Amino acid sequence: MRPTDRKYLKSHEWCLIEGDVATLGITDHAINLLSDLIYLELPDVGAKVKAGEPYGEIESVKSVSDIYSPVTGEVIATNDELVENVMSLAEDAFDRGWMIKVRVEETSPDLLDAKAYEELVQAEGE
Amino acid sequence: MGLDEALLRDAGSGSTLRFYRWRPAAISLGYFQPSAWVDSVQGSHAVVRRITGGGAIYHDHEITLALTLDATRLPTDTAASYALVHGCVAAALDRLGISTRAASGDPDTAARPARHWCFAEPTTHDLLTTRGDKLFGSAQRRLRHPAERVLHHGSLVLRAPDATPFCGSLLDFAPPEATEDRLIEALIGSFAEQLGLEPRPGEPTASELHHAAILARRYADPKFVRRR
Repeated sequence: MRPTDRKYLKSHEWCLIEGDVATLGITDHAINLLSDLIYLELPDVGAKVKAGEPYGEIESVKSVSDIYSPVTGEVIATNDELVENVMSLAEDAFDRGWMIKVRVEETSPDLLDAKAYEELVQAEGE
Repeated sequence: MGLDEALLRDAGSGSTLRFYRWRPAAISLGYFQPSAWVDSVQGSHAVVRRITGGGAIYHDHEITLALTLDATRLPTDTAASYALVHGCVAAALDRLGISTRAASGDPDTAARPARHWCFAEPTTHDLLTTRGDKLFGSAQRRLRHPAERVLHHGSLVLRAPDATPFCGSLLDFAPPEATEDRLIEALIGSFAEQLGLEPRPGEPTASELHHAAILARRYADPKFVRRR
């Protein structure tokens, strides 16, 4: 079971909301599908992200994918260490694998709880 | 490049297998590749940046393909989707009496490529000549919103360019009847069969062309080409 203190998007991103700050990342399931991670690009601190729209991009096996935001708000921190060592995501998607922190103005209406996300990945044949 | 992206992003574009060639020869960079190194090899060539990943390609005597389709038509696992596409190309070549083999490798050892050129470093599932030279290079872009779609770029090298002599040269060992037209015909048949699609010739729609023209401005913008 994945962490129950977070919300998830169907596109396999997670967010942990504490007060008005959300920590964002992608799930272990997404990482398994992508396989070997090569490059990661994240927005700058101060940038605006919008729920349901891409905030970052990741490359694996010569395949580039967008990373979608579960929240709207301003980026207040980025995990620069992860950008330098994106392969470490495979070791820990939910803690050290956080990508950005956002001061939240609004959350996506499409957020799933852990149980619903679990059902989704089971249906995808995890 | 703009049309490939329009075919990826436009709702209702369905599945498209597009073929094109490059005149004059040009260099394309992978989406995440640094660009400073290309100054030393660019000469008078145009340099473009793809939205697909991977390394740089010197496009000259090759058949370039752009496959755009709903992600559900390919395996969800990225590596498996490459295996399927490369299998389509291998089967098409086999029909024309051209033998190839798939590169093997340990997926766990993947890392940022040490060399700039896509064809300098075969990776797992890449299509090689029987001698071991990389013959078909691939890269992808995947979308999840508003629909799950994939753009798969592929380059089948007919004659290795002087700039990248380590490429395989299909024309060096293909039978004479394997003309470019026959190769394309075989590729269409193979992709249609493997993906369960009914091929029919077509032109881009007005909407796709309009979208492509807008996107083309970004591809022509030096800030995009030199984004890294």
